[in-house]
Amino acid sequence: MSSERQPEAQRPSGHRDWWTTKWVVPVFSVLLGLVEWVAFAVGGDARAGAIGFFITAAFGALLLLGGRSESIRGMRGDGRDERWAMIDLRATALAGFAVIVAVIVGFIVEVGRGRSGNPYVWLGALAGFTYLIALLIGRWRT
Amino acid sequence: MREQRGLSQGQLAEALGVSRQTINSIETERYTPSLPLAMALARFFRQAVEEVFDADGTG
Repeated sequence: MSSERQPEAQRPSGHRDWWTTKWVVPVFSVLLGLVEWVAFAVGGDARAGAIGFFITAAFGALLLLGGRSESIRGMRGDGRDERWAMIDLRATALAGFAVIVAVIVGFIVEVGRGRSGNPYVWLGALAGFTYLIALLIGRWRT
Repeated sequence: MREQRGLSQGQLAEALGVSRQTINSIETERYTPSLPLAMALARFFRQAVEEVFDADGTG
């Protein structure tokens, strides 16, 4: 599944994958905010949930109403081409690396304090397992 | 080559299904296009890929 836009000569006329429409990321932002709000409300702090919802909803609105900004369209999905796909992939890898470093540091700190290391152990295992599976799939498919 | 044909970056980008920023990045050698895009560029200009891009792979 690729979010890249093919060159015009190779792209079927009028074809657009559903995940590349301008609505997907904004709607996802709003839905995520709603889920967050409900979770906070269940935990007894609906006000914090409301604040979180409005932040994510505002982000979704910014993407939806971002006009013809190429950066906004790239983040939104409808303005993506191969260069944006490359930028997105690198940014995702860097973000993943940052999270993995944080998980490792968190695990070491927790264990150093005499605790079990949870949930960092499971987060680290999930990251490592996902990476191995992705490597194997990539090796098999290419 | 684009300027010789009186095209803007936006017009070329629209024709090829990429963003104007991508065309700009190719022209300023900050981005190397994929093979399909390079071939589409060559096909658009009715030139061989080698004539559109320098021998070192830049535009």
